[in-house]
Amino acid sequence: MTDELLVLRCRLGERDALTELIRRWHTPVWRYLARMLDIGRADDVSQEVWLEVIRGLPRLKDPARFTPWLFTIARRAVTNRLRQEYGQAAAPADEPIAEDATDAYVDRAELIAGLSGLPAAEREILVLFYLEDLPLTDCAEICGIPVGTVKSRLNRARRMLRDTLLRKGFQP
Amino acid sequence: MNDDPRLSADELIRRLRGTLSPWRRLRGAVALVAGLTGAAFIGLLWATEPGPLPGRLHLAFGMFTVVCLTWAGYGAWAVTRGAPLYAMDRVIAAWLALTASTATTALLTVIALRRDSGLTATLTVGIAFIAASAASLVRAHTRRTALLRRIRELQTRDDQD
Repeated sequence: MTDELLVLRCRLGERDALTELIRRWHTPVWRYLARMLDIGRADDVSQEVWLEVIRGLPRLKDPARFTPWLFTIARRAVTNRLRQEYGQAAAPADEPIAEDATDAYVDRAELIAGLSGLPAAEREILVLFYLEDLPLTDCAEICGIPVGTVKSRLNRARRMLRDTLLRKGFQP
Repeated sequence: MNDDPRLSADELIRRLRGTLSPWRRLRGAVALVAGLTGAAFIGLLWATEPGPLPGRLHLAFGMFTVVCLTWAGYGAWAVTRGAPLYAMDRVIAAWLALTASTATTALLTVIALRRDSGLTATLTVGIAFIAASAASLVRAHTRRTALLRRIRELQTRDDQD
């Protein structure tokens, strides 16, 4: 069953569909939260995310765009949590588009190992693109930036990740 | 980092069961309908009471009216800001509103006729409430029908693939 069909059944008010939707997306959302915060806070924030999803589902304009909508909510929850904790806005700032020819293959295990050393904006884009396998357009929608900025941020993030991994002793 | 959440999906669903409950979603609509119905009923009794009333009775009518309006206010808040109303919930809520407004209008009309007072106001307000409830029922059914049609389309496409 596609996500769109599941979301439509949820909007009808079918409880089974709501629980199926949570079962399907709980782990990907939690993984994103765990990379952006930490494991302990991810459990807590994931409940807030799902409460917001259940409340917002009747207002979701395009059920086919459920995935970016879901991660936009998760991203907002991360920002709110960081803002609460640090008393200042934690949303990553937009960066100018920069061309970069780096297209090195990024191994998943190495990626996870190096993520913790990256700034929030770069960590987020790597999590969404590589770990959640979201297309560039969805990443752009979630982060609220143009696709071009996503590409340049990905390039910069890969470069930073490579430097971080080299410092930790990984061989290219 | 471990890729599996410590909080399982089933545990999360258990924690969210209150929000997932249809009754939880509908209780705001029930409070709104009951509050408005009660306030209209007590208001008409108060307004059409024959003869001068003692001060304590005025106070009692006023307090009952305030209690009913408070429930209506809570219901309005819950419907607009609290638990979401899904398509089937909206249909049920609209039927509740239509039934309550029709029954209340009929009852209040009988009281107004017997007391020979307030008939025009009762009918005007009652018919306005019935019309609003009927309109929301039509809108809720239309929305639900559109959702069901789209679900059938997607299921047919899935079956063909």
